[in-house]
Amino acid sequence: MRLPDMTRPTADAVESRLTYTDGASRTVFATEVEVPFPEGRLIVSRTDLDGIITHANDAFVELSGWVRDELIGKPHHILRHPDMPKVAFKDLWNTVSEGKKWHGYVKNLRKDGSYYWVYATAVPNIRNGQIAGYTSVRRKPSRTRIDELIPVYRQWLEQEKEKIAS
Amino acid sequence: MTLNFLIAPDFSPERFAGWHMLNTLLQRRSGIHLHLLTPASPAEQAALLAEGKVDMVYANPFDAADMIRSQGYVPFARPAERFDEMVIATGSESSLQKLEDIQPGSRIALTDNKDVKLIGLRLLEPADLNESLIEWVPVESFQAVARLTIKGGVQAGFFLAEAYASLTRMTRSQLRVLVESRISDISHVVLAHPRMAGDLPRLSEALLGIGREPADSDVLEALGIPKGFEAMTQEDAEFMIDLMDTLLD
Ligand SMILES: Cc1cc2nc3c(=O)[nH]c(=O)nc-3n(C[C@H](O)[C@H](O)[C@H](O)COP(=O)(O)O)c2cc1C
Repeated sequence: MRLPDMTRPTADAVESRLTYTDGASRTVFATEVEVPFPEGRLIVSRTDLDGIITHANDAFVELSGWVRDELIGKPHHILRHPDMPKVAFKDLWNTVSEGKKWHGYVKNLRKDGSYYWVYATAVPNIRNGQIAGYTSVRRKPSRTRIDELIPVYRQWLEQEKEKIAS
Repeated sequence: MTLNFLIAPDFSPERFAGWHMLNTLLQRRSGIHLHLLTPASPAEQAALLAEGKVDMVYANPFDAADMIRSQGYVPFARPAERFDEMVIATGSESSLQKLEDIQPGSRIALTDNKDVKLIGLRLLEPADLNESLIEWVPVESFQAVARLTIKGGVQAGFFLAEAYASLTRMTRSQLRVLVESRISDISHVVLAHPRMAGDLPRLSEALLGIGREPADSDVLEALGIPKGFEAMTQEDAEFMIDLMDTLLD
C-alpha cells in the first residue's frame, strides 16, 4: 500500500520529501500550475477508518489526475500537497474521529505535480451508532478566502519546519 | 386495505397525469390498493406526514434525510439516472457574465424548493455570497422565476434543472445559464413506512419492474423518469444523506 516516489514532471518542479503519519514517506514534485475547480460539481470520496480510499466519484478521479484503480485502496495522503501544513489534517482527523463535521480549505496535489484548491467538508459515516468510515465532499472555494489563507498556511508550515529542526 | 402514496410537491404540473398512471400500474401489478396524495406545497406535505397518514412516499432528498434517520422510513428505490440538479440563470440582456459577477445585495428569485435553494447557495460560495447577502424574492413557480429574471426584476433566478430544461425555447432564449450543477449523487427517493414492511416486497417488485413491458414507457415518459426506478439500499441512502449533510453549512 506504500506509494511510490513521483517522477519529476518538468524541470522546474519543486522536489520535497513527505513523511506521513503512518510512517510512510515518499518524494513528490510540485509545479506552479493550478487546475481550476470544475464548475457546478462536487468532488466526493470516502475512506475507511484508517483513511484508505474506498470510493471516489468521477469528479474526484478526473481532478486528481490518477485513474480510479490507482486511488481505491490507497491512503488519502496520495493527494497531500507539500504546501499544506500538517496541523490542518490533524484538526480534520481529531474532529471527525470525535463524530463531528470538519470544514477547511485544502490545496491538493495532482498526479502530474499541478494543484487545485477546494473547500472541503468531512463527516463521519455513523452506522448503528458507530463510526464506519468517513466521507469528504469538496466544493469550489472562494478565491478571496484562499488568498487570505495562503500566508497563514505558509506560516504554519514554517513553524512546523522550525520545530523539526530544533 | 388502502395504502397512502405521497408524491413530494416539487414535480412540475404537467407530470400530474404521469403520477396517476404510475399509481394505477402499481396497484395492478402489486395487488395493493394505493391512494395517491399530491400535496400542493411543502407545508401541506408536512401536515400529511405529521398526521401519520403516509405509507409510501416519493420524497425530496432533503426531506428523505430526516424521514430515514429520525422516523425510520425505509428507502427502497430511486429514479434511475435522474438526479436533482439546479441552474442559476440571468436575463440574456444582463451584464452578468459569470457567477462571480453577482454582487452582494443582488435580488434572486426562487421557489419554495429546499433542494434547489441549498445547492444554489453552495454554488454561490465561490462568489463570496451567503444567504444574508442576497435579497431573496420568493415566487410560486419556475415560470415565474423565468419571467422575473427576463424582465430584469431580479439579477438571477434559481431553477430545478429539469424545470429549466422544460421551459419553452422562446423563454430559454431570453435567459443565460451562469452555472448548472452536475452533482449526480443526489436524487429523490422512494420510502416506505416501517409499518408496511409486509407489503414492501410486492410493491418494490412492482415499482422496479416498471419499464420491462413495452407499454410501460408511456407511463415513464409521462413521469419524466424515462429509465424507470432502480433499487436503493439503506446504505445507498445513508451515503446520500452523509453527502447532503456536508452541504448544510
Ligand atoms: C474523508 C477524508 C478525506 C480526506 N481528503 C484529503 C484530501 O483531499 N487531501 C489530503 O491531502 N488529505 C486528505 N485527507 C487527510 C489524509 O488522510 C491525511 O491525513 C493527509 O493527507 C496528511 O497526511 P498525514 O496525516 O499522513 O500527515 C482526508 C481524510 C479523510 C478522512
